[in-house]
Amino acid sequence: MISRSIISLLCFLAFGIQVVLAQELLPSSEDALEWLKRMAEAPRRHNYSGVFIYYADSHIETSRIVHKNDQAGEHERIEVLDGSPRIVLRTNDEMKCYLPESKKIYTEKRWFRKFFPDILPQPFGNLDENYYIKEVKRERIINHESQIISLIPRDSLRHGHQFWIDTKTGLLLKSAIMDGSQIIEQFAFAQLEIDGEIQSDLLKSNSFMTQDDWKVTNLLTSVIGEGEVEWKINNLPSGFRKLVGMKRNLTEKPVFVDHIALSDGLATISVFIESMGEDTPTPTSGFFTDRGAINIYVRVLEGNKITTIGEAPMETIKLIGDSVIKVN
Amino acid sequence: MKSKVSALMDGELDQQDVTHIIEAIRKDNDLQNEWRSYHLIGDTLRKSSRLSMNISSRVSQKLITEPTVLSSNVTTAIQKQKYKVFTLAAAASIVAMISAGLIMNNLYKPQQIMIAEQSNQENSLTAAPIMVSSPPLIHNYSHPPVEINDYLFVHREFSPGITMRGQASNIHNVEYHERYGR
Repeated sequence: MISRSIISLLCFLAFGIQVVLAQELLPSSEDALEWLKRMAEAPRRHNYSGVFIYYADSHIETSRIVHKNDQAGEHERIEVLDGSPRIVLRTNDEMKCYLPESKKIYTEKRWFRKFFPDILPQPFGNLDENYYIKEVKRERIINHESQIISLIPRDSLRHGHQFWIDTKTGLLLKSAIMDGSQIIEQFAFAQLEIDGEIQSDLLKSNSFMTQDDWKVTNLLTSVIGEGEVEWKINNLPSGFRKLVGMKRNLTEKPVFVDHIALSDGLATISVFIESMGEDTPTPTSGFFTDRGAINIYVRVLEGNKITTIGEAPMETIKLIGDSVIKVN
Repeated sequence: MKSKVSALMDGELDQQDVTHIIEAIRKDNDLQNEWRSYHLIGDTLRKSSRLSMNISSRVSQKLITEPTVLSSNVTTAIQKQKYKVFTLAAAASIVAMISAGLIMNNLYKPQQIMIAEQSNQENSLTAAPIMVSSPPLIHNYSHPPVEINDYLFVHREFSPGITMRGQASNIHNVEYHERYGR
């Protein structure tokens, strides 16, 4: 009889675990969501300039940023200060990347990438479905009081995030991508002035950058409409949606490459499909890691190299990479 | 008649007499006993180990006197012991299955680990597990080949922090350092 009781108890326990796993997810804190809303709006409400650092895998990169809003919209200049100079000028979603040493300019539209400190999409809609968002505590960052907001992933398909938000303006002062309790990569202001006067000259290209001997390359060729899709992701992982499909003109490649961009609101994943010619060397298939949160998965499908890249766990990258199919 | 029974056993009767005597043995109990006795004597003389003894009536009698057991649950000490071992094994199997499931969840779902680690702060948070295969079991992790640099450049859309490892092979060295900061 005792043994039967033990079996019954264990069966009940197993059933209970299933019920707990299947139950409704806890909604995020309303106050925390309000903080995110302020954070998403802040770059459109405030001008700012300063220096921020990117830190991952013991590597530091320093950049200067100038950001201004006016009647025409947003204007921004980001200059990488370490190593070879790289300057990105942005007016709303139109971007130009200047490489002074090689005298090259790459033009690109901002499709999905959000630069620090403007990293939230607008509206940030379904973030609550993919992350449990909560307030943590207050902390002082570069002489500003900040509210820490934690975004804990609701499944294993994405990384966690932590934001340090200026309590006065809502501007993001520091952000971190987390793997468990470990920081994978982070951006943080080292110096910041909010709503100070910004001269228009600071947002323009230098005179030497507009000379005729600079080569301009447009990285975008065309957006692929839904009716022209040749490739698609058969099973999008929970919470991810397709942002755009494009034909890409990559810098040194003779052929156009299909590019499908996906996002869950914070993490972005790109799928590149490149047709391989007969003389194309066999690509190195497998799984690769890059600095910070980036993971990469390369495979070959019917004479095409499929490269999946994104700031997500390798399991998610593989899931998406393996779901790519050709549309008949 | 008894002599005919004996002759039957010795195979000395013709077909008609055989039919006749068999019919008589079937009807006459004395002749049946005679038939059995002759067989027993014969077996004994031949030193047969399988004596022709009729035990059917005694077995039947034994069955009649035996109390009827309605329940098949025999509760001898040995059987009880066997049952205990079986139930404990079943219980251990269930525990092992649940444990294995939980361990697999934690091993192959990094964010599940994260939730567990933060559960001290947020005990009421529940996670929706999603089954995904585990690449580490299949393949290698290493630094990306140089041919992926173009993809990374496009994916990050000029974002700060795009510096990468590796050496340039398909782009000019100066440009490589500019683009990737190395």
